[in-house]
Amino acid sequence: MDIRQATIDDLLGMQNANLLNLPENYTFKYYLYHALTWPELSYVAVDPQGRVVGYILSKMEEEPAGEPHGHVTSISVIRPYRRLGLANRLMRQAQEAMVAHYGAAQITLHVRKSNRAAISLYRDTLGFEVHEVQKSYYADGEDAYGMRYDFKQTAEAA
Amino acid sequence: MASAPPKHRQLPDKEAKLFKELLVQYEHKQYKKGIKAADSILKKFPNHGETLALKALTLFSGLPMPATAASQPKQDEAEAMAKTAVKKDITSHITWHVLGIMAKGRKDWEEASRAFAMARKQDSDNLPIIRDSISLYLHTRQYEAAVAARHHYFLLRPNVRSSWLGLMVAHQLNGNNEEALELYDAMVGTINADGASPSEKAQIMLNVVKVCMEMGRDGDGLRRLDRAIRGKILSPRGEVTQLRAEMLSKLGRMEEAVEAYRELIKQNPDNLGYYTGYLRAKGLDVASSPSEQTTSGVLAELDQFAQTYPKSTVPKRMALTVSSGSEFRTRVKPYLINGLEKGIPSLFVDVKSLYQNPEKMAAVGEIVEELIESLQKDSSLHDDDSVAPPTTLLWAYYYLALHLSHPLHPNPSFKRSLDLLEIALKHTPTLPEVYMAKAMVLKRAGDIMGAAETMEEARLLDGQDRFLNGKAAKYWLRAGEVKKAEELLAMFTKKDISAMSDLTDLQCLWFLQEEGDSYRRNGNLAMALKRYQATATVFQDYEDDQYDFHTYCLRRMTISAYLSLMRYEDQLRSHPAYFKSAVAAIEIYTSIHDDPSLTEEKLSPEEEAERKKAAKKAQKADQKAKKAAAASGDAKKEDTPAPDPDPTGELLIKTETPLEDAYKLWVPLERMASGRVETWTSGFEIEMRRKRWPAAYKCLLAAYSLDAEDPTLHRQLVTFAQALPSSDVPDALKTAFTDRLPILSIISSSPRDFTADFLTRHSSSPSHILGAAQGLIAVLSASSTPTQEKKALTGGERKEVIAILEKMAGPDIHPEIGAMRRGIEVLKALQGTEGEVQAFKGLCRGRVPLAGVFSSKEEVEARRAKEVNGTAEANGVKADV
Repeated sequence: MDIRQATIDDLLGMQNANLLNLPENYTFKYYLYHALTWPELSYVAVDPQGRVVGYILSKMEEEPAGEPHGHVTSISVIRPYRRLGLANRLMRQAQEAMVAHYGAAQITLHVRKSNRAAISLYRDTLGFEVHEVQKSYYADGEDAYGMRYDFKQTAEAA
Repeated sequence: MASAPPKHRQLPDKEAKLFKELLVQYEHKQYKKGIKAADSILKKFPNHGETLALKALTLFSGLPMPATAASQPKQDEAEAMAKTAVKKDITSHITWHVLGIMAKGRKDWEEASRAFAMARKQDSDNLPIIRDSISLYLHTRQYEAAVAARHHYFLLRPNVRSSWLGLMVAHQLNGNNEEALELYDAMVGTINADGASPSEKAQIMLNVVKVCMEMGRDGDGLRRLDRAIRGKILSPRGEVTQLRAEMLSKLGRMEEAVEAYRELIKQNPDNLGYYTGYLRAKGLDVASSPSEQTTSGVLAELDQFAQTYPKSTVPKRMALTVSSGSEFRTRVKPYLINGLEKGIPSLFVDVKSLYQNPEKMAAVGEIVEELIESLQKDSSLHDDDSVAPPTTLLWAYYYLALHLSHPLHPNPSFKRSLDLLEIALKHTPTLPEVYMAKAMVLKRAGDIMGAAETMEEARLLDGQDRFLNGKAAKYWLRAGEVKKAEELLAMFTKKDISAMSDLTDLQCLWFLQEEGDSYRRNGNLAMALKRYQATATVFQDYEDDQYDFHTYCLRRMTISAYLSLMRYEDQLRSHPAYFKSAVAAIEIYTSIHDDPSLTEEKLSPEEEAERKKAAKKAQKADQKAKKAAAASGDAKKEDTPAPDPDPTGELLIKTETPLEDAYKLWVPLERMASGRVETWTSGFEIEMRRKRWPAAYKCLLAAYSLDAEDPTLHRQLVTFAQALPSSDVPDALKTAFTDRLPILSIISSSPRDFTADFLTRHSSSPSHILGAAQGLIAVLSASSTPTQEKKALTGGERKEVIAILEKMAGPDIHPEIGAMRRGIEVLKALQGTEGEVQAFKGLCRGRVPLAGVFSSKEEVEARRAKEVNGTAEANGVKADV
């Protein structure tokens, strides 16, 4: 699978992948808003037929308290394309872009409390930590974990 | 200075003061107060245009967008008022401005653009009016006017960064990069002083470099880029380095280009484009058919990368595309083993893109068979004594089942595929993927209902998974079960509205397409049309969505992304989802033009009852909305959306102008999908019926130059050639037609030979056989005078057609269920006897025993049970087809 920065031409493919896979969906304009504000921060995974099979949609916080900080709006890999490590690769590309282009100090995301597979990926593979619980964050009433990853830890460790 | 206002605009002091207050109240969104002020002016001066305009605007601004049931009448009132206002005071910038704002609110961009142009005529230096005008010019692609307006704005506000950058962007869109770059170089000094943020500077820089590249000034672009990297304005990550590598390549500085690509691969070893760029810079072009030497050079490079980045699949996968013969075999084997051992479900979809090469397809099949054999023996796939994970065999069965039933397989075996999956299911009955594969095989074998039932089993294994849910819904739609599908989809959509409404709001294209197709197959053309038109509306929304970004992107300085948005929107409707819906809707429109009785619904009693229930519900909702509006007097709080005025698609299908409706959908295809034969063959059907001969001819010519052997075109050529002589087309034009398309006169003189030769040329392709049959029908039914109806075929002539159709089911022909189904439709349209239809169905069934369309449900099930158990051959016909 080919992993590259998302372009405007990929947005409908991302919207489609999102509708196939996740319960939280957005209209095209919201994807446009991301791509036309932070063009470097969203990535897609594309199969040999050119279909978007996974994506990460991300942004910078508009009014950060303190240092610039990035946020993952949505990340998803459609079911038949799991076990290829695509989510991991997409996440790393977005993270590096945040640091390189916007000097991000940390990155945050929300995840359903019940989504154990995703939580394990974020925590065990990618080094995120839970920093808050948001009650009834999702439309169906489920709580969200707010997770965070500090880019400085890696810089110091290295 | 402006001269004194005309008499009809002047107000006495008291009203003049009220008017000023009205302006302030509008700006502060004090709409109620505003209307009160307007009314007291209008009491004394009912013809004061500007007051009337502001009242209309104030009314309009207090309404919800989009309109609700309760607000619609008020919106109509406001719009009528704005129009009156312009009539009362046609030289006021206010009346025109208001008209423009309201047209913009309705997304009537053309009218808004005209109104703003008029407003500017009255007050040329009004900044807000110029700003809105610019957006509208950009939106409606009037680039020259946009440049002029931008230039005017720039002269009024020369010191603001966005005003000169805006002018630069307008020049770029207008195709004038030279002017754009000159302006930039003249103004660039101001950026550093005006407090632009680092990311704004980066975005501006990126655009400038791209302008240089577009102009072919790569040296200049590279110097600017390198300076910006050194100055820390641009970060050398991703696109920036990619642009650098591209410029270096174009400048012939290959060693540096190679280094730049190497750096990119280091940043992202999973990016395919980086590797192809790298290889090209090395003088190794993989796109054209490479020499042996090139191939081995490429493979050596890829192997190197595979070693450096062991986790990346790209170099390994690329090597499979590049290599061939025994080299391919040795490489694909470990690739397959790795995928099977890890249980990667997408392994098949990944590898099948190599199947365009039959040799590779065969090699992969053999290897998987060998792997299964060794796994069945001692479960080891390596030369050492390591043991493959127990699921490896399962995934190998899964792979082989999909492989054997693939449409490109020279001798697909659905039976063996199903047998393999049955073993896999016995082994692991809890894996949805195996059921999904089984559903896929059944679908390929033509058993649509069985496929849906199997996909449902997959879904039930993991009810929380939306992907499985959507797949099952899609398969139910394919099987014609709209209600069942919607019930499933509702599990993942908003609770307070129907699944259909929610998925439409969320612009779910696959759903609209599949449900439209499902309705169409069920003969409900009204609802099919409704879904196809909903897709067209979604695309209109996608187009309208760009409006806000004309100003937004200039604020954020994301110019390069903005320009790609503009380019994208210009070809938006070439998207397959629009294309498919438009072509399907056009077919419905032309068919109801030919046979208006199709617009009369034939409802079953259950459908009738359902329909009544829905109508009642809609009526109730409507009443409730009206009551609520009357009670509150404020439309904003009660925002029940306006009810769908046409929930059953009846208004759509009862159109008085089916051909014009079809044409509207077709126009974007002509411009944006001109490379597809179907665009022209569907345009031909519209134009022939509109009797626009030159336009129909143009479609024919375009289709002919794309693919002279297209089966639909074949029939259309016959139709056209036969109708032309007796048409009212002037003789000179007739001659011109045949001069450019000489085949027309050949057809006229011996149409039967034309069709017979076509059949001989394509005797093994089902869709061409169908085309030949339809061509022959066109020959036989042509009438000798233009006023006559088409001739009905005699029984003997029909037999001739049937003889052609039957070739589709011939023993050496790869069967295509879709073509066979259309063959049955053709036969029915010819008034074929029941015996003839059944006989043809029987032949088809003999070739695709599982296909439900050719037999009853009981028959299919009985046959499937036999097939799967492998105990007997149904009717002596092998399942292998």
